[in-house]
Amino acid sequence: MADKSTDPVAIWQNMMGEMEKGFNAFANKAMETPEFSKVVNQVGGVSAGAQKQLGDMMEKYLLAMNLPSRAQMVGMAERLQSIEGQLNEIKALLHQFRANAGAADSGFPAAPKPPRTKRPPSAGGEPK
Amino acid sequence: MNAAAGLDLASIPERIQSEVQRAIQRSIKGVEYIASSGPSLGSTPKDILNVRGTMNLYHYRPVSDEIYRVPILIVMATTNRGYILDMVPGQSFIEFLLKRGYDVYMLDWAAPKPEEKSLRMEDYVLDFIPDCVRQVQRDSGETDVTVIGYCFGGVLSLLYGSIFSDGPMKNLICFTTPVDFREMKLFQNFSDKRYFDVDRLVDSVGNVPPEMILSSFEMLRPASRAASQVQLWENIWNDEFVKSYRMFDRWATDTLPLAGEYFRTITKDLMWDNKLYNDAMSVGGRKADISSIKVPFLHAVAEHDHIVPYDAAKPLIQKIGSTDKQEVILKGGHVSLVAGANAIKRLWPKLDSWLCERST
Repeated sequence: MADKSTDPVAIWQNMMGEMEKGFNAFANKAMETPEFSKVVNQVGGVSAGAQKQLGDMMEKYLLAMNLPSRAQMVGMAERLQSIEGQLNEIKALLHQFRANAGAADSGFPAAPKPPRTKRPPSAGGEPK
Repeated sequence: MNAAAGLDLASIPERIQSEVQRAIQRSIKGVEYIASSGPSLGSTPKDILNVRGTMNLYHYRPVSDEIYRVPILIVMATTNRGYILDMVPGQSFIEFLLKRGYDVYMLDWAAPKPEEKSLRMEDYVLDFIPDCVRQVQRDSGETDVTVIGYCFGGVLSLLYGSIFSDGPMKNLICFTTPVDFREMKLFQNFSDKRYFDVDRLVDSVGNVPPEMILSSFEMLRPASRAASQVQLWENIWNDEFVKSYRMFDRWATDTLPLAGEYFRTITKDLMWDNKLYNDAMSVGGRKADISSIKVPFLHAVAEHDHIVPYDAAKPLIQKIGSTDKQEVILKGGHVSLVAGANAIKRLWPKLDSWLCERST
């Protein structure tokens, strides 16, 4: 069996690992400079502005084409999310109701709660 | 053995055969990978106790016949989903806690909706967490609650514990929680006051988009995504590797947006003014001094954490006011500290041995 120092697959994996580390370290050094921050934030600012303008234009175009815009789709998604949220609230209320009412009154079999009496295991691994 | 080259010539045909088999497996499994969905995550049975906008409080159903008296409330980081702590059976921190006899609740976050852009730090610290603590008390019938905070969930827990230092928090556990934000050097540079206009960003986008959060995390290790794709291809014949890759990849890319006003406070108070470290932090006009926390405290940090470097987390153990306090430095990174094979061996048993004595 070839050892790790001569196994081509191990050498390849090691090389990949080293390359990854080296590139990350190099990039991190570059990203620590104030120039990097300046450029990234300028580009980020410009692209956010451009994106907003493009979004406004697309909105008008889609309206003219009688198509739903992204904002309208997002609105739909929010409605769905809100319906899901309300379903969750109903579930939470049902859970509370079940917990408060008890098994006999509600007809729901409430899960029995285990007693809060557990002790930490002793040094031998058995509960105290 | 060929001594000069250190190469066993007899093993070469065997090695070639094994590589050919793996290449065939890669092709078959590669098609399977594309065609199939990933494993189902976060499937430990739980009940929803409360949902209020971005706030979700779950109670995991106990599995032991007998449980410890003090319930646990886990406060998840606001940037990511809580299922990192509940991956799949056998690799779930929640399942581990339940099997060890703890009663577990989780405050997890949903993506804040556009109308929640005005949520502030005080909504998280003075409303959501106290509300969840009250519900845990009501549901469990216990006054005491152990709080566990992961990453920024740890920061929120610290702020909560500082302001409500009279109780009812009984124990506090933080996983890889930053307090000295100057030491988060790359994030510092990304948000350099001179060039980063947080007001303009928040005023124009409302909630900070998840893509921006994700790319800021990925920029910390720019080569790692490409390298992990190569690793996936190399190991695609290995079902366990692929399962694990899919779980972690799905979680890592499932980033949440951040409420705009909350992000503004994080940037200004923590990243720029480092107020938590400088003992100058206040939330909703209430001073949040971490030296006022006196409850038993455990801080678990990772040796190779690229998101919260050790230097950013290190001062916490000195600053906290508790006398019963401990810091554990474990091998691993920001995520492998809490989930995956390393966590199963290292963090989880350590946490259990520390917490069981303080949960009665």
